[in-house]
Amino acid sequence: MISNVFRNLFSRPATRPFPASAREPAPDARGSVDFNIESCVFCGACALRCPTEAIEVNRQERTLEFDLFRCVGCACCAEACKHGCVQMRAAYSGPTFQKPEMRFQGVPIVKAEDAER
Amino acid sequence: MPTRTVIPFGPQHPVLPEPIQLKLTLRDETVLEAVPQIGYVHRGVEKAGERMDFNQSLFLVERICGICSFIHALCYCQAIEAIMGLEPPPRARYLRVVWSELHRLQSHHLWLGLYADSFGYESLFMQFWRNRETLMDIFEKTAGNRVIISTCSIGGVRRDIGPELQSEVLRALDEVEKGLNHTVPVMLNDYTVKKRTVGVGVLTKEQALSLGAAGPTLRGSGVAQDARMDGFAAYAELGIEPVVEEAGDCYARAKVRMRECYQSIELVRKAIRQMPEGEIAVRPRGRPNGRAIMRVEQPRGELMYFIAANGSPKLERLRVRTPTFANVPPLVAMLPGCQFADVPVITLSIDPCISCTER
Repeated sequence: MISNVFRNLFSRPATRPFPASAREPAPDARGSVDFNIESCVFCGACALRCPTEAIEVNRQERTLEFDLFRCVGCACCAEACKHGCVQMRAAYSGPTFQKPEMRFQGVPIVKAEDAER
Repeated sequence: MPTRTVIPFGPQHPVLPEPIQLKLTLRDETVLEAVPQIGYVHRGVEKAGERMDFNQSLFLVERICGICSFIHALCYCQAIEAIMGLEPPPRARYLRVVWSELHRLQSHHLWLGLYADSFGYESLFMQFWRNRETLMDIFEKTAGNRVIISTCSIGGVRRDIGPELQSEVLRALDEVEKGLNHTVPVMLNDYTVKKRTVGVGVLTKEQALSLGAAGPTLRGSGVAQDARMDGFAAYAELGIEPVVEEAGDCYARAKVRMRECYQSIELVRKAIRQMPEGEIAVRPRGRPNGRAIMRVEQPRGELMYFIAANGSPKLERLRVRTPTFANVPPLVAMLPGCQFADVPVITLSIDPCISCTER
């Protein structure tokens, strides 16, 4: 153990001086979920595949509600989405005082006959 | 007249990674009897597994335990594949071995650290955990997450490890091996460590077999049994020799785990060298209908899953038998006769994962 002690005394510390230097996550890390609501068609595939039922999609009202507390970062939604609207971000959601309420409202579809009226 | 005292060891104890209560009856400083009580982390996983789709239950069983999570997922996927008649491609089987053995390495590192902490050797504890950080970084690079890696899926694996990542894994393993070479001799040869562990908590071979011990608890008592010898995933092609020690005390069990660390490093190197090209998953079609029992080797011992499915998307029954559940009776047999100060050392020497035990 003495050799370990000397090696530790004369080498750099193993810890990072956070917050002076932050840790960069790996490029493919499953940190947090990103929703791009503009390209979303509200098919509900992500909600179906989510193992914790963290996503709720309402097709008629074109809303998507995401419960950040329930998400486990498994990336099933990102795999299920065929339009690329759900992406995994490598950076995990940092510490905040209040978790953001993630409720997205898509543009409601107006049918052609309603638009004429 | 010598008095008898009953002392509750746990459920909150600084040395225990998870809550378990052992009601110890002591006469002065000698333990006469230990009565275990579990149930502090029971989450009803088996019932929850019946409420969800079988694809979603995979993410549930992964979270039964954080330290052996990939191996729970592996056992579950293999059981469902056995029911559905799916054969994962060869590359997927080798990738599963790579991740399983890396998981075993990080589990043994975690245990070695906690074990050193149980007899007060905090600096050695930190040395092992610093070594473990290299493995956690590798998990993040290859699988996307440090602890619950979520890469096993029904039919194969979800991610591939390409050539650049493979060389990163090999470089990390060299670093881990160097770290082990600095710390394992301390655990094996230090005078104080040997004084605290040699001859402590002896489990004879007959006791180990009759009480149904599993994993290093069994192999430390001289029984050469390892569920990897069955040849699931790619273990049949890689070949596996169980690591056995004869003494049956805490020192022997620790030595088994340290030798298994080196064995895991060699297995990952071999698997990466021999990895075939090809697909990483087959697409499962339909729903499972049937029953299967699957055994794999977790870092703590033999893990067994029984899955019953009846053609609906939800499973009919998900039954998990974890190795720590099998190791609690040997623990209760090892404790009588030991000193009170040896109780943390003996309890940790079976590598208790109470989250697994209670699901």
